[in-house]
Formats: sequence, structure tokens, C-alpha cells
Amino acid sequence: MTLMTLKRESAPSLLVEFDVASEPGNEREAMQRVAKAVGPLGLSGARLERLKTAVAEATMNAIEHGNQNRPELPVQIRVTAAGHELRVSITDQGGSRPMTEPETPDLEAKLQGLQQPRGWGLFLIRNMVDELDTSSDAQHHTITLTLHLDEEAAHE
Amino acid sequence: MNDSQFSAQVLDQPQSQVAVIEMHGDINILAEAKLNAAYTQAAASDPARILLNFSNVEYINSTGIALIVALLARARKEHRAVTASGLSDHYREVFEITRLADFMTITTDETSAVTGAMPTNAPQEPRGV
Repeated sequence: MTLMTLKRESAPSLLVEFDVASEPGNEREAMQRVAKAVGPLGLSGARLERLKTAVAEATMNAIEHGNQNRPELPVQIRVTAAGHELRVSITDQGGSRPMTEPETPDLEAKLQGLQQPRGWGLFLIRNMVDELDTSSDAQHHTITLTLHLDEEAAHE
Repeated sequence: MNDSQFSAQVLDQPQSQVAVIEMHGDINILAEAKLNAAYTQAAASDPARILLNFSNVEYINSTGIALIVALLARARKEHRAVTASGLSDHYREVFEITRLADFMTITTDETSAVTGAMPTNAPQEPRGV
């Protein structure tokens, strides 16, 4: 006998969708607009700060690596909520490209001068959200950040 | 004036062998020159400890983390301890995740950080950067 569990997911509701120009510093605007959009969800202060950091870093990644700091190329940001999941998608025009940072930056190696001090962005993102996914086609590259809203209590 | 623009002020406390770098604004790539200059000034008096005051820092991105890593590397090479004070709960967590907290002392405020190092009545000589 085969048992199947069917899970009905509610259709995602769009909280906000906007573009920012690919200029260094605009990740701050993205971070603040996302924070404003998710306000009604009642995230705790700590989780909201983590989300803001993840959004800012993902947007910086899109601006710098995807769109090569070209102001005429927008970074598209889309925030949706469905059931117990909050998703933030950050899309650049960089097409298919690999994530270049190592899994965990080696601070001791950096302090000894054996590595460059940089390389913290993706590491921070992975530690700030519950899920990090990437997708791409010939023209676009998307990072999707997911927060499990029903894990709010577990995180505090 | 852009409230997020980075600035740093160096306060020498020679009798306590602590040099304080009080920072304001955002720590990102635009802060590099001023932060490096502040460290150079702070180190000029040859302190045993550098105290980084983050009380008026609102935003640190990954590039800012890299700048702090580079500063910490300079201090370690020169055998100077580093203390961070005034970090928000969020950035204290970031410092723990990145392991920066393993290589510097984290305190809640500048006063306890300085008096904990060595008490002093020496006048402070602020030098803006």
C-alpha cells in the first residue's frame, strides 16, 4: 500500500517588488525597502536584522558581480510570503555564473596575510537566512532567500 | 550632510596605553581610507591596546567586515590587542559568526573597556580623521 501526503500551499502574496540601480551603496535602499515591506509580518528584531543583512549582501553581490556596477542595469527585488515562508528574490543581469566564494572564510589565514581580507558576503547570507537558493538563465541570475516564519520562536 | 558617511576620531589615553577609535556612520568600502588613517594615528602613540567604539555605527557590510579584519591583522602584527565596544546585538552576532570575537575582546561600552585595561586621569586629546 502506498501512502502519499499532499500539502496544499497557499498562493504567495506579493509584498513588494522594485528595482535598484547597480551603484555601490544602493544595497542599503534595498535593505530598508524590504524591511518596510515585511513590517506587518511581525518578525522579531533579531530576525529582521538578519534578513536585512542578507538582503543587503545579496544585493551587493548582484550589483558588483552580476551587473558589474553598471548603473543602467537594475537589480530586481521581489518579496513574497506564502504560508509560513517569506521569500526575497534578488535578480541581476549577469546570467549563469558560479558562486565564487569559499564555503567558510578562514579568518586565521586572513589574519596571517595568507588570504585577502574579503570574501564574507555569501558566508554571511547563509548564516542569516534559513535557505539560500540560486537559479539562472542565459541573461538573469537570481538569489532567493527564505525565512521559515514558523521557526521564529526556535531562533530566539 | 549624509548621516551614513563614515568618520573616525582618535582619542589617546597614553597612561592607560589605550588608543580609542570612535567611529560614526557606515563601515563599507567608502570607509577604507579614513579607517586606515585612524588606525595609523592611533598606533602612532604605540598603545598596547586599540579600542574600536562602534556605538555610532549603524551599518557594517561584508566589505566593512573585511576592513575590520585587515585592521585586526595590522594590530596583531604590531602586537597590539584590540577591543570592540558598543556593538549592537546584531553585529555582536556577526562578529561571533565570523569569529572576529575570538580574536578581539567584546565589551558593552567604552568606559568599562578603557578602565578595565588601566585606570587613567590623563586628558583626552581628540584628533579628527
